[in-house]
Amino acid sequence: MPDQRQQFRVRHLRMDTRGPLRYGPPRMTESPTDEVDFGFRRVPRDAKAGLVREVFERVADRYDLMNDLMSLGLHRRWKEAMLDWLNPRGAMTLLDVAGGTGDIAFRFLARAGATARAVVCDINPAMVEVGRDRAIDRSILDRIDWLVGNAEALPVADRSVEAYTIAFGIRNVTDIPKALAEARRVLKPGGHFLCLEFGPRPDVGLSGLYDLYSFQVLPKLGELVTGKAEPYQYLIESIRRFPSDERFAAMLGAAGLQRVRQRRLAGGVVTLHSAWRI
Amino acid sequence: MGMAMADQPAWQSVDPKLLEILVCPVTHETLSYDRERQELVAVKARLAYPIRDGIPIMLREEARHLDEPAPPAGT
Repeated sequence: MPDQRQQFRVRHLRMDTRGPLRYGPPRMTESPTDEVDFGFRRVPRDAKAGLVREVFERVADRYDLMNDLMSLGLHRRWKEAMLDWLNPRGAMTLLDVAGGTGDIAFRFLARAGATARAVVCDINPAMVEVGRDRAIDRSILDRIDWLVGNAEALPVADRSVEAYTIAFGIRNVTDIPKALAEARRVLKPGGHFLCLEFGPRPDVGLSGLYDLYSFQVLPKLGELVTGKAEPYQYLIESIRRFPSDERFAAMLGAAGLQRVRQRRLAGGVVTLHSAWRI
Repeated sequence: MGMAMADQPAWQSVDPKLLEILVCPVTHETLSYDRERQELVAVKARLAYPIRDGIPIMLREEARHLDEPAPPAGT
């Protein structure tokens, strides 16, 4: 089985970077047994959330450390770039989705005034506990709330927040269009949607090195630090499966989010996506 | 029944400001906070979402149906 997967992976890498679009309704209806991508595997639609949850449960306590190592510290700059665009101010309420360890929320609160609030929503209790414990350590409790929830069915009222962020999380959602529709629903008119995500197609000159790094170095690094290679294998595969910038922009538009702007960071390894509920 | 909750730390109670924007993910109705059972109750949906360690677990699959017996307080 592992050997088979190895071949599968190499073949699909080519298809994925050059071939037809992987996401979207046409493909879903074509699929006879309603399956979705889980890295390079196809799994039953119902199974993905549980599998993703397992991945993050296994790495929760060392997640941010791994981010530092994997991105060579660059994830900090990417997150700051997102906050630059968000421009935290006044009595803003931010809903940060898939932000369990609190990394975005803490940065937001550090920049925003004393009246700003952050609500962190993550599907994984293990990740939320890491963030909540950190907030307790930093004694920032009254401006931040934690909850466990699904990006596809947010437990948040219509038109209730000024900003919605999701950093390196949308890739793990089973039904991305549904999550984007939910983002629009909870945003107030004039509210800002911001998303950081790895791009499946970095600039051409970078791709050889990037492939080597992601398929050879990263899983080993993950194994070294967390004792588990498999979660990081998933991470890398899921990146290659993610829609291109163009396709994702179209998905944002389809969800009713407007004025889409994108900024490719680190040669397209990561893209910052911005859109508004008008 | 409420005894176990009596000396719970402040961070374990649900922030009233959070309750203002928190809704049932199924029906989008507002929720009532059952402090004793540490649950958030959605009447129309007939669901009670557990609060574990002060964190509301707002997942349909983790919620208790209101027709099912309540868990003993303090768990």
